[in-house]
Amino acid sequence: MEAKYDFTRKFREQILQCSRCGFCQAHCPVFGSTLRPSYNARGKMLLLKEVMDGKLELNDELTETLFQCTTCASCFENCPSGVNVPQIIKQVRKDMVQVGSCHPAFVGMNDVLSRHTNIYMENEPEDFDRERNQKAEYVYFMGCVGQYRQDEATEAALDLLDRLDVDFTLIDEVCCSGVLEDVGFEINPGLADKNVELILATGCTTVITGCPYCFRTFNGKDQYVKLREAGIKIVHMSQFLKDFDLPVKTDQKVTYHDSCDLGRHCGIYSEPRATIRKIAPNFVEMPHHHANSLCCGAGGGVRGAYAKNSIAMARKRLDEVEEIEADVILTDCNSCVHNLGNAKLRKQKFKIHTVTEYVNMLMEDAE
Amino acid sequence: MDEKMKQALIDIVGEANVTDELIDLVSYSYDSSEISHRPDCAVWAETTAQVADIMKLANKMKIPVVPRGAGTGLSAMAVPVKGGIVLDLCRMNRIIKVSIEDRMAVVQPGVVYADLEKALAKDGFFFPPDPGSGKSATLGGNVATNAGGIKGAKYGTTRDYVLGLEVVLPDGRIMRTGSNCMKSVSGYDLTRLIVGSEGTLGIVTEIIFKINPKPTKTATAMATFDSLEDAGRAVTAIMYSGIIPSVLEILGRECLQAINQNTDLNLPEVDAMLLAETDGYTQAEADFQIEKIIAVFKNNTPREVKQAQSAAEAVDLWKARKSAYAVLARIKSHFMLEDVTVPMGRIADLLKGVAAISEKHAIQIATFGHAGDGNLHPQILYDGYDPDQVGRMEAATADLFQLAIDLEGTLTGEHGIGLAKAPFMHLEHDEVAMDIMRRTKQMFDPNNILNPGKMALEV
Repeated sequence: MEAKYDFTRKFREQILQCSRCGFCQAHCPVFGSTLRPSYNARGKMLLLKEVMDGKLELNDELTETLFQCTTCASCFENCPSGVNVPQIIKQVRKDMVQVGSCHPAFVGMNDVLSRHTNIYMENEPEDFDRERNQKAEYVYFMGCVGQYRQDEATEAALDLLDRLDVDFTLIDEVCCSGVLEDVGFEINPGLADKNVELILATGCTTVITGCPYCFRTFNGKDQYVKLREAGIKIVHMSQFLKDFDLPVKTDQKVTYHDSCDLGRHCGIYSEPRATIRKIAPNFVEMPHHHANSLCCGAGGGVRGAYAKNSIAMARKRLDEVEEIEADVILTDCNSCVHNLGNAKLRKQKFKIHTVTEYVNMLMEDAE
Repeated sequence: MDEKMKQALIDIVGEANVTDELIDLVSYSYDSSEISHRPDCAVWAETTAQVADIMKLANKMKIPVVPRGAGTGLSAMAVPVKGGIVLDLCRMNRIIKVSIEDRMAVVQPGVVYADLEKALAKDGFFFPPDPGSGKSATLGGNVATNAGGIKGAKYGTTRDYVLGLEVVLPDGRIMRTGSNCMKSVSGYDLTRLIVGSEGTLGIVTEIIFKINPKPTKTATAMATFDSLEDAGRAVTAIMYSGIIPSVLEILGRECLQAINQNTDLNLPEVDAMLLAETDGYTQAEADFQIEKIIAVFKNNTPREVKQAQSAAEAVDLWKARKSAYAVLARIKSHFMLEDVTVPMGRIADLLKGVAAISEKHAIQIATFGHAGDGNLHPQILYDGYDPDQVGRMEAATADLFQLAIDLEGTLTGEHGIGLAKAPFMHLEHDEVAMDIMRRTKQMFDPNNILNPGKMALEV
């Protein structure tokens, strides 16, 4: 019999591989902040198994759990059976959209990106007092969060590039639209083509992204293949920064939060730490770090659709900053900074910055 | 579900803590076994008083209640086979007290094993029975199943650490058992009756655990044996040696082959590998013990003996054992992980018997487990969508249980009976013992509402 859904065709074997051991409960951030087993990775795989067995249909009743996954991959990292839950969830969401069952926030997001250039529907991009679309060796790609929500961090990143004498330009960037792939839709080809065209026109050799998700999208998605074919390198700011001598130091107690996109999804762990260790000898890890890092709760569309639980996940992360009594938590993802910032309690006195922003602050202070 | 019943539950725990949503009914249908059945609803309780009120209501309405922790059990004991209410205790997850001076910890049932471990580590203490699922499993579940772990040989199982309990009975009454004392011979030992009763007699809402100081040093050694007999003789000689290893694990030939086929560990494909760890408070203490064990290994015709010279080398030696579960879990779409247990002197016989059963039913069975306490994990690998393979798996399982009993062993060392092993209870327990167990159940739970259908307690 022809499989009814694409997820069955692509992932049947993997879903059956789930042995229901429940070990993912120790790692799933959505379960951790709700203690509701149906939200856990196992709960999701059980539902999909029943769908494959013909006991259930994909429908609105399943939306609440299938769309409530940050795709952080900590379950996959720790799964004895090797079930790649985020990959499966992304496909299932596409099947859900096909049958007309999708969280309204994501229908809205797809709609927004069909009419606007960014996920926040902002019509007047911040220009950061810089010319755009110049000829340059590097393009700095800010990302939606960097441009419209964490603009101070972006300003700092641009200042730092200036301080380091980097020949770079901004472009009239639009949303990379990679996030649509996570929430049941496809990358918007119009947006992708615009970015590709503008980047190619600069004659750059390298695109530096401020956002780990844009980095993944440019490097991995077919819609951006022209960049790779043109020999343009895509690097994340954390990779770019690690080779510079940074003539500043701080005695603050600093820790680092591995974002899921840069860490578990791309395996970039050592580069940001190399930079931080140069400037902050008093560097300490939180109890969960590298591949075991806790998710900030923002990914996979969860911040937009399930804000309360998203914040609860971020709080768990911030509890660890308190536990090790750090003065500063750094990360390389604007989206993490944004969510952690929203979750921070008044009594929590530590600061939250991107690595780039922090380095720039220290350099500014030293001048 | 019945609207009146739902409203009555809402009156007890609040609307947000009662669910009959499809997603929850499906996830509460399962544990880690192959058996499933949907409940009518699920309830999240946060206090003992709520649990008591739920039981009073269920008892009056004669509705089944199935208490549940993390649902990591392998015997379907948390599967609501007769429907009714799943009572999820994961949100009763407070560590109420850690008293080093009294060497005890008081916890709610929803505390995850790893969280207690972390809390005790600050003072250099630990709660030794560490199930393989310890990062997820709850302590209430560990008590209900009398969970064991890798350190059973030296440190025993959960039962050996439970000093007292608070238990809600099926009629809603609240009972305290045991005491805060290391010693107590006061009255019947109701604590031991409840531990391992799989949620059929009462719902544990508070646990008083004995805790141990944690040895700070370990030593590790490994030996491989071309013949099972030699490995068996080595285990027996360790028992004579006067040393109690903190861990003594065995991996059988099928298991080593499976690991080799799926990893790059490149293990010798011998009849058996033994891994030993000793512990102590000085390195000399741990080393003294491991040297005795190495001498035993060498006296029993090993192919190879290795001692870890560093922590990193110890990690390398443990890789084979640690990878076993994940490797075996990936080979076929389904597996049955058993936990038959025999006296330590019969381990070689058990492994030989398992190999014969595997051949007889033409089904892959890979075995690893705890040689130090006789508790082995034959893992039967099969395709659950192939009726022929399912039939052979079931026949092999029945033979495996008979084998364990023939070797003066037991059906289950640490996973419990639940539903999966209920049909085999009569192999191990005589008519009189079964009669007393059933009467005990009837006395506690005359309406048979608490986790009904489990442990062959229904006539």
